[in-house]
Amino acid sequence: MPWVSAIVLLPLVGALSLLAVPPGGAGAVQARIHALVAALGTLVLTVVLVVEFDQDVAGLQHIDHAGWAEQVGLSWDVGVDGISLWLIVLTSALFALGVGAACWRLPERPRGFLALLLLAETGLLGLFAAGHLVLFYVFWEAMLVPFFFLIAMWGGEGRRRATATFVIYTMVGSLLMLVAIIATAFVARDATGQFTFLIRDLEGVAFTDTQSTWLFLGFALAFAIKLPLWPFHAWLPRTYVAAPILVTALLGAVMSKAGVYGFIRVGLPVFPEGAHRLAVPLGALAVAGIVYGSLLAWRAPTMRLLVAYSSVAHLGFIALGIVAIDVQASQGAVLQMINHGVVVAALFGVVAVINRVAPDDRMDGLGGLAAGAPRLAGVFLIVAMASLAIPGSNSFAGEFLILTGVFRQHVWLAALACLGIAYAAVYMLRMYQTTMNGPVPGGADDGRRAELRGRDLAILLPLVAAMLVIALWPRGIVDATTRSIERAVAPAQVAAGRPADQIRATPAQNPPAEALPLPGDEAEVTP
Amino acid sequence: MITAGAATLALGAGLWPGRLARRHGPALVGMAGITAAIVMSLLLWGERQDSLGGGLRADRFSLLLNILFLAAAAVTILLAWREPAAVDRRGEYVGLILISATGMMLVAGAGDLIMIFLGIEILSVALYVLCALEVWRERSLESGLKYLIVGSVGAAILLYGLTLLFGATGSIRLADIGRELEGTSFTGEPLVLAAMVLIAAGLAFKASAVPFHMWTPDVYEGAPTTVTAFMSTAVKAAALAAFLRVFSGVMPDLQDDWSVVIAVVAVASMAVGNIAALVQSNMKRLLAYSSIAQAGYLLIGVATGGIAGAEATLYYLLAYAAMTLAAFAVVIIREREVEDGDTVAALTGYGRARPVLGVVMTVAMLSLAGFPPLSGFVGKFLLFGSAVEADLTWLAIVGAVGSMISLGYYLRVVWVTWAPPLDGAARRTFAVPGPVGLATVGSAVAVIALTLLASPVLDACRGAAEALLAP
Repeated sequence: MPWVSAIVLLPLVGALSLLAVPPGGAGAVQARIHALVAALGTLVLTVVLVVEFDQDVAGLQHIDHAGWAEQVGLSWDVGVDGISLWLIVLTSALFALGVGAACWRLPERPRGFLALLLLAETGLLGLFAAGHLVLFYVFWEAMLVPFFFLIAMWGGEGRRRATATFVIYTMVGSLLMLVAIIATAFVARDATGQFTFLIRDLEGVAFTDTQSTWLFLGFALAFAIKLPLWPFHAWLPRTYVAAPILVTALLGAVMSKAGVYGFIRVGLPVFPEGAHRLAVPLGALAVAGIVYGSLLAWRAPTMRLLVAYSSVAHLGFIALGIVAIDVQASQGAVLQMINHGVVVAALFGVVAVINRVAPDDRMDGLGGLAAGAPRLAGVFLIVAMASLAIPGSNSFAGEFLILTGVFRQHVWLAALACLGIAYAAVYMLRMYQTTMNGPVPGGADDGRRAELRGRDLAILLPLVAAMLVIALWPRGIVDATTRSIERAVAPAQVAAGRPADQIRATPAQNPPAEALPLPGDEAEVTP
Repeated sequence: MITAGAATLALGAGLWPGRLARRHGPALVGMAGITAAIVMSLLLWGERQDSLGGGLRADRFSLLLNILFLAAAAVTILLAWREPAAVDRRGEYVGLILISATGMMLVAGAGDLIMIFLGIEILSVALYVLCALEVWRERSLESGLKYLIVGSVGAAILLYGLTLLFGATGSIRLADIGRELEGTSFTGEPLVLAAMVLIAAGLAFKASAVPFHMWTPDVYEGAPTTVTAFMSTAVKAAALAAFLRVFSGVMPDLQDDWSVVIAVVAVASMAVGNIAALVQSNMKRLLAYSSIAQAGYLLIGVATGGIAGAEATLYYLLAYAAMTLAAFAVVIIREREVEDGDTVAALTGYGRARPVLGVVMTVAMLSLAGFPPLSGFVGKFLLFGSAVEADLTWLAIVGAVGSMISLGYYLRVVWVTWAPPLDGAARRTFAVPGPVGLATVGSAVAVIALTLLASPVLDACRGAAEALLAP
């Protein structure tokens, strides 16, 4: 059974089937059924994939390969390893919740909204599953289109500038990435004699240091913009503010992982020398992002902006974990990707609830909601504690792993990054305090209106439950990723000259040492 | 022959007594002729046949392009179903389109210099008339006159270049010229150098590549929109076909010399086209500048030479024709509904009023911008790939930067299409006549189909590229 292809394509099928639904009120029920079946079906398939996953295998599993235009090296090639597995789980779970939320309270033109949500889901799942560089690029770009429309057609004020900035920023990096992808394949052909875009075949190709650095740079720019790494982050606050809150939650929780994922899927294993050379500059940018994002979050006037800037800081942590070129830090980074996804989704869920009282998102008119809304206060407290990574929360495990790993490699970067933890306490507590405690400017009625209702709990409780599970048992995620991360990081560790006891996997070699074909030899392309 | 014959019959059918026959007769005859010619091209596929003493050949290269020209002509005729210029003069309209297509086929299948020139002239003369077909509109007349003057200059330059090439090599047969130039270099041959520059300039006029592009926006804006659609797709394809025939096909050994010249033209076209398009408020002018930029992308494939370059150019020509026709189709429909329908602003909220047309426009624009997985992306991927393979990575990077700039205006159209409609603006929509709708949706489907069926299409393009380079 081609599990992975099914998971990637089921939301697309759902989106297409929505076209058959009659528009307007008549089709509202049908549209809900189509969207829910597609989203929940994907989630069920993902659960099966988790059960079937073998965590002792380091490379991709469940590979599906099919021809597209094989004359020029294009093919459909998807699979999962420990790193992508949890991102796929995160994506399908959060989109199932998102589609559920959208079905509960249908927006205007529900058919289009739900179809675009499902298209975005296909884009993200395909990105996390792609084992082929061009396919990776296709999904990387294709997912922009549904998000563009979701923001442009359902967004709030300033959506026009936000969409333009969002798409142009992202495309600028990625078109250079396209050239880098093509160049990678040709340079690798000259080195190994085989022409391929398959990532696993490109791992271990002996690029020269210069080639590796330039090609890595081509990719790194695209990843840094998507991440977003400071100073490439200007699109993020605008987009987060202008998008409908459900879309913002999905952007922050899932799409923001694409850039980090690119670094660990392509950057480190394929261009280890380039990654090693640029690790410290990228790490410095990540730390700058942590400090910058935290400071702006501290002063943010609205809840959405606060969460947006806190995301810049948290994603800086995750990026730092990857570029430290350390197994433990990378494990922390992958764990933190999942944590951040769950926590940000929950935070935006809480913000959406508080929006009932403060439609303009501003915090200065709010206060004392806890009195009328004890359930909200409780959930918000858990989420806020998780976001500032208090010991015992799910984020703590991730940040701890990242910081210990980074500390081992770059003491100063780790020391400066710790500032982010301190700042996080300041801005998260400020948000909690100004909204929940103190006097009630809007009257007691405000709290009652903000109290969690059944459907809010239906969205938030699974997220809180996920946080608690990860907090108590982070090994569940970490163990499954170990082999894949060791394999992904090993080439860069070798390039960085790390001591042998830190390197726990043998880097791939292409061409294999025992059969070195000469440049220009026509070797058979491995499927 | 079939197409030329159909053109004659269509002209005749336009004179038939009876209003109904005069209205629909020519189009039906024309469509029948096009269908027959496409079937004939498919039947001939695979073999190479020479006629007119080697002056005209039917190889895979020319056959593939013939299908492209004929398909573009068919879409144009369908789109012109209600075109004011075409309704009363249906016979002339269909006849001229087919004559122009005949000229293009002569260019694509040319075996000697005379045929190239004849083909270019036949296709141009028909277009001069077509541009000015809306005789009651001053801009249409002006457009025809402008195109006539500029086109004549271009033709003269081309002819000059062809003559010099004949003088340098002593033959008009492309195969003989190729043998004569084998292993030589421009450096020692000033005559050949001059010939090349003049031929490139003459063809660049037709392909509307910078710096020979000045006429494009004015002529595109003034001409009847269906004619503009035909010009921007089929004529460009014919010019690129001539580029490939003369440069890649005849003088592959001299590639080091001419590829730089063409690369420079490509870079200039991408830069000027993309930047100027950013500030256009008229859809036809926007598409005109976009077509200048697209000519730049296409020339990347010519500049890289070899089979990979020709293959990429051919594939992108197919994709470009489909997406440009789709974009023009929506403009044509909108133009008939509101007075200033060819402005970008006229599309405001159109996607919400007419979702199908909105989707067609979106697909066309995203594909032109190179969004995956649409065919425009596959084409750009091939073009950039051929450039990187030919050690012209800088050209690929320039292409990528050009694509980034192009997002500015392609996305603006997408944005406007789906924006909330302007307050108070009358949202006039007419029922779209069946043939027009068929052509519109067909073009958009072709954009997607070229991606899904990339493998067989690329096989065909590769076959065509190999036929081009075969002696």
